[in-house]
Amino acid sequence: MRLKLISCEIFYREFSATVARSPHIVDVEFLPKGLHDVGTEKMRAELQAAVDRVDSARYEAVLLGYGLCNNGIAGLTARQIPLVVPRAHDCITLFLGSSKRYLEYFDSHPGVFFKTTGWIERGGSDGELTQLAIGKAIGWGANYEALVAKYGEDNARYLQEQLGAMTQNYSQFTYIEMGVEPDGSFEQRTRDEAAKRGWKFEKLAGNLAMIERLVSGAWDAQEFLVVPPGHRIAARYDEGIIAAEAV
Amino acid sequence: MTVFDELQQAIINGQAALAKELTKKGLDSGKKPRDFFPNAIIPAMDEVGRRMRECEFFIPEVLIAARASRAATDLLRPLLVGDEAVQAAGVVVCGTVKGDLHDIGKNIVAMMLESAGFRIVDLGVDVAPEKIVQAVKDENANVVALSALLTTTMVNMKGSIEALKAAGLRDKVKILVGGAPVTDAWANSIGADGYGKDAPAAVELARRLAATA
Repeated sequence: MRLKLISCEIFYREFSATVARSPHIVDVEFLPKGLHDVGTEKMRAELQAAVDRVDSARYEAVLLGYGLCNNGIAGLTARQIPLVVPRAHDCITLFLGSSKRYLEYFDSHPGVFFKTTGWIERGGSDGELTQLAIGKAIGWGANYEALVAKYGEDNARYLQEQLGAMTQNYSQFTYIEMGVEPDGSFEQRTRDEAAKRGWKFEKLAGNLAMIERLVSGAWDAQEFLVVPPGHRIAARYDEGIIAAEAV
Repeated sequence: MTVFDELQQAIINGQAALAKELTKKGLDSGKKPRDFFPNAIIPAMDEVGRRMRECEFFIPEVLIAARASRAATDLLRPLLVGDEAVQAAGVVVCGTVKGDLHDIGKNIVAMMLESAGFRIVDLGVDVAPEKIVQAVKDENANVVALSALLTTTMVNMKGSIEALKAAGLRDKVKILVGGAPVTDAWANSIGADGYGKDAPAAVELARRLAATA
């Protein structure tokens, strides 16, 4: 088969490694991680544009390297060829290898911020997307001096306190080791950041199996949704996470 | 400009110290504490909500306006105790649902509801359904506002509503839900009374629901 993978760059190393070993021909387009910060509607529009760019005569299916991602993929429509989508709330499911493992870990570890190679080296917003980024509009990226200039010293102090609260409830970094790392430097950077913030550090062994199955064509219905042409992705909020509905 | 107009401007501009000063000035000149709400505070926060919707205001502007509003209400509230003519618009129990630790959105909604005259019982983050049930009982609340930022935790809104049902309290309260992944369809499917797309929408909804609760 010839397949087209449209993926968030967060999986750059994981898909590069697994596409190399796929029995199929898989062409890849990575999209900026910053798409997650532009709001659901713009994210969906950008993804739909990427799906629509695919030459349907050339490929048998479009693979999506995304989770539900805060409904960012809800409404995405398969045109002439099927769209294959992992049943996942977000990328952590794919890094851990199953949504069950993710939910179990999530439930027993509140306040965890996950790190992988992609979360470290591709964390920043793409230059051209920065203008659109919600984070910028709401001041998360703003430094203290900029806040003082705009809102005065008293309010700047208050805002820093309030906006800084975004991460105040987090207390741990969990580094997911995927086996695609060149060395221990990614883990070390996460350890250093945890030490700097006074957070706990934990390392988990990732699992490439679900990522591998996506690019190798092993699309079990439990694990992947195959959206037939003329159907779109709908969020389901049950164990299936997503479903296909007729447009 | 009257002192109420000036106070309204100070709140919109996020000038907390000035808002406090103007409230004192108004009180000194004989204005009744209860009159500050319909004449300055509520219209100011309605304007903040409008500007937020029109994308003229973003989170920082809303936060500092809410802070200025609180500077005024902190002075006024103690003076309202025992004033029979003043009734809270309603009592809102709010919180981010179990498993979810995100609270900026919830805090903004709480502050805006407070400015709109509601009494707020904020249970914080990672709130278990039992805690919501208890608070509704203890505080005699008529509105419950639930927040979730993740698709993995929004399912716990359902659990909270079911706990209220099991405790026989479902008909005593109106339930509104909000947060990034939440949609109208989701609100309907779990039997909530409404969905607030953003903080101004949540305030509008709470007003409408509280009036019928």
